[in-house]
Amino acid sequence: MPSACRLCVQGWTRMDKEIVDYALDYARGKRVNYAETRASSQQQDRLLLRDGNLEAYTSAVDSGFCVRIIAGGGIGFASTNKWTREEAREIVDQAYKYAMSAKRREKLVFAEEKGVKTEWAVEQKEKIENVPAEEKISAFVDVHKALACCGVKVVATVAQCSVDLITKYFVNSEGSQISSFVPRIGASVFIAVVEQGKTEQASEQFGFSGGWEAFSVWGVQEKMVHDAKVLKAVITGAKHVKPGEMDLVCGSEVTGIAAHESCGHPMEADRILGREMSQAGRSFIYEGGPYWLGKRIGSEAVTVVDDPTVGHSYGYYMYDDEGVKARRRHLYEKGMINEFLHNRESAAKLGVNSNGSSRSINYDREAIVRMSNTFLLPGELSEEELVEDVSRGVYMKSFTEWNIDDKRFNQRYVGREAYLIEKGELAGPVARPVIETTTLKFWTAVDAVSKNVEFDAATCGKGDPMQGVPVFTGGPCIRLRGVYVK
Amino acid sequence: MKDALSQTEEIVAQGKKLGADEVIAKTTFGKYRQARFSNNQVDITVAWNDYVTDVVFAWKKRVVATQVHNFQDADAGLRNLLKLAKVSKENPAFAGFAQGNFSYAQSKADKKLANLETPSEYIFEAIGAAEKEAGVKVECGGILFTKYEDVYLASSDGPVGVDSRSAVEFSIRAFTEREASGHGVECSSTLKSFKPARAGAKAGRVAKLARNPQMGEEGVYDVIFDPLILGSLLGIWGGMTSAYSVLVQQSVFADKLDKRVAPEIVTLSDNPASYSVADRVFDDEGVPARENVLIDHGILKTYLHNSSTAKVFKTRTTGNAGIIAPNPWNVEMGPGDMSKEELFKEVKNGLYLTNTWYTRFQNSAKGDFSTIPRDGIFGIEEGEIGKSLKDLRVSDNVLTMLGNIAAVSKERQHVHWWIEADPPSLAPYVLIKNVHMTKSK
Repeated sequence: MPSACRLCVQGWTRMDKEIVDYALDYARGKRVNYAETRASSQQQDRLLLRDGNLEAYTSAVDSGFCVRIIAGGGIGFASTNKWTREEAREIVDQAYKYAMSAKRREKLVFAEEKGVKTEWAVEQKEKIENVPAEEKISAFVDVHKALACCGVKVVATVAQCSVDLITKYFVNSEGSQISSFVPRIGASVFIAVVEQGKTEQASEQFGFSGGWEAFSVWGVQEKMVHDAKVLKAVITGAKHVKPGEMDLVCGSEVTGIAAHESCGHPMEADRILGREMSQAGRSFIYEGGPYWLGKRIGSEAVTVVDDPTVGHSYGYYMYDDEGVKARRRHLYEKGMINEFLHNRESAAKLGVNSNGSSRSINYDREAIVRMSNTFLLPGELSEEELVEDVSRGVYMKSFTEWNIDDKRFNQRYVGREAYLIEKGELAGPVARPVIETTTLKFWTAVDAVSKNVEFDAATCGKGDPMQGVPVFTGGPCIRLRGVYVK
Repeated sequence: MKDALSQTEEIVAQGKKLGADEVIAKTTFGKYRQARFSNNQVDITVAWNDYVTDVVFAWKKRVVATQVHNFQDADAGLRNLLKLAKVSKENPAFAGFAQGNFSYAQSKADKKLANLETPSEYIFEAIGAAEKEAGVKVECGGILFTKYEDVYLASSDGPVGVDSRSAVEFSIRAFTEREASGHGVECSSTLKSFKPARAGAKAGRVAKLARNPQMGEEGVYDVIFDPLILGSLLGIWGGMTSAYSVLVQQSVFADKLDKRVAPEIVTLSDNPASYSVADRVFDDEGVPARENVLIDHGILKTYLHNSSTAKVFKTRTTGNAGIIAPNPWNVEMGPGDMSKEELFKEVKNGLYLTNTWYTRFQNSAKGDFSTIPRDGIFGIEEGEIGKSLKDLRVSDNVLTMLGNIAAVSKERQHVHWWIEADPPSLAPYVLIKNVHMTKSK
């Protein structure tokens, strides 16, 4: 846990809890319905390597605090990275003024929560702060070396690694006082392969909450060498699929992105209520529309959850950024629309309690409704059994291009590693198969689910200014019957 | 202001004293304000103040960087940087920072934007304009954002400069029905030229036309791109002219210098002009930022460079640093000689796309991508905007689309929106022939 000292400047944390408490007390002195102050200190290390050469190493501490106030039916928010009482008063005054000037017809309130006093932290087996910079650099140099001698012409490699030691302190006018510490590591590797004068590309993202043990958990070298060989095989030997209706087996990476895009996002209550209407968009789910709680959106085999409590996951937290305890949310339950993701603002509007889905990337951004780790629950079949029962189809293990419309209904996934299936057996690589379909058709077509869940790290974008939050996507392999693949 | 500059210079001097070969420090005092609204009401108003000095330190071709948030912490930060540099690895591509004593244009930042504390009147003015244009009740959402930054830069290689940067940006999306919307943006570096009602009126006008959309059909179309959606494409095309994108195989423009990449009517520049929300007088190495012609009448003329990428390509920096990667500031497409109306008359049977989001590539070296139009999608019949459509996707290729640009309008708009039309641009209406559109099956 972070030091309890009043002002910690220990290389990797800068946090003055007394000023945070002071800001809250100062806010309470005004006619507020609610006030909170949230501070964070992030020791951020960044490595960027191109073709095995370190381009830059950045190391910095970003710390500051914000205040959010509900008063007069509006919400005001202000933040600073100056740790002074004068600055604390200034941002409280500003947030209060903003809240009072909102002049809303519908007064904003938060769903009720009890105050919580607690501390929580993510354990590290191998403390990141004790791992020398040279070791981190070497780990990624070795990835390049492995790619250079894997028998594939890899013409570009870009590797990035981020290490964040995140200390937070949250207090609100309802008595909450929560301290937390999360060490978080992320990485991404991009490769470009050229064979026979043709090019293919792949990128992978890795993420972990915990210590440097993450690097061995990820298996970056093996994964990137595998990708390089797959790209070579696509260039040198892949056929194109003859477009038409067929069965499609999706690997966990494809299942995961579909769960994230066409279940997690449309189930965000702020989106459903229109609060993101101008940027991230709305949802095909809305009150009075064809899709709402209790309506069918997929087959019985489809249960998608969002769960921030998955140990050491990239999207891990025990309490969200409004001080609400985290728990698993069953978004689609056996094919039915079941539970939205809520923060306290959206929950109040729909007459429920928050389910702890409020996240912010830093002290200077408001907490909004976000996913954490979104994945399909497993079934009982093996991956082989899914394939065995397909007479003609495609096995799409991973994807390149993907997107979805802003109501989260029309989506497209283009395969990166993919194989034809003929008479229950894999029959060679297939080049960039495409499924372009609706959320309803995709999830309704699922007839079988494998028993092994795998996760991929991703950065989920939402909010204005953009807040990219770390998440897991994932799931088992799934089999879709009779979908159009081109 | 002088205090901040001299403190920034002191950081550079201290870095040199500690043993750095080169040091650049850039201090930014930023005031940012934003009001977010949806369903015609303000949801939250936000203020964030940021005080930061970015320090980049080169020692024996090792490049390390940090941020200092308090000048008192600078010495400790620099000592940590030196330690880090000593255990770091040499970057063979690092060619040093820009050298020289430059003079800079006077900043034209608008001080009024440093103190704009009651922005909601602009929001309601724009909502009113949307409603008036739509002629029916509309649901509007969006943001109003203001920026005022004082920037102080010092480099051990000579450059020393002071800049102020201001911006006001407004984005509004209006819905007349659940699936009928229009989007307008208004962006300026000064409050004087800022007219949010224009954005509201456009959003309302498109939302009115977009009512009762029918499912679009897959096919190959002649498509008119509105400045808002073209702005998204210009941002991507501009990004691909970064020499860094070329080096890492994420550009369609590799090996195409001095070759034709578009028809004669296409001229693309990067210009951090005074009207732009990205207006600036120097880049992150202290080199004067300037206009660079990227594609001149269809011929690719240059990549965007910092000092290090310039050395790789045996040329000179274009004033677009990024220490590691050069970036475009504000991508301009040169005007054509047709009015918007004349452009539409060119199309017998096609589409008019007003906005897009979620552009993703299969392979950015080849340029295969798709993007999802949103807000108004319209058929064009005999030069007139026709029926409202929905659920279509552009699935095409960057070079193919550039090559198929058939007409460009005289009218241009300064566009910047969220992450979708970024970096900012000056975008006309363009007609692109034979665009592939797909849809869900």
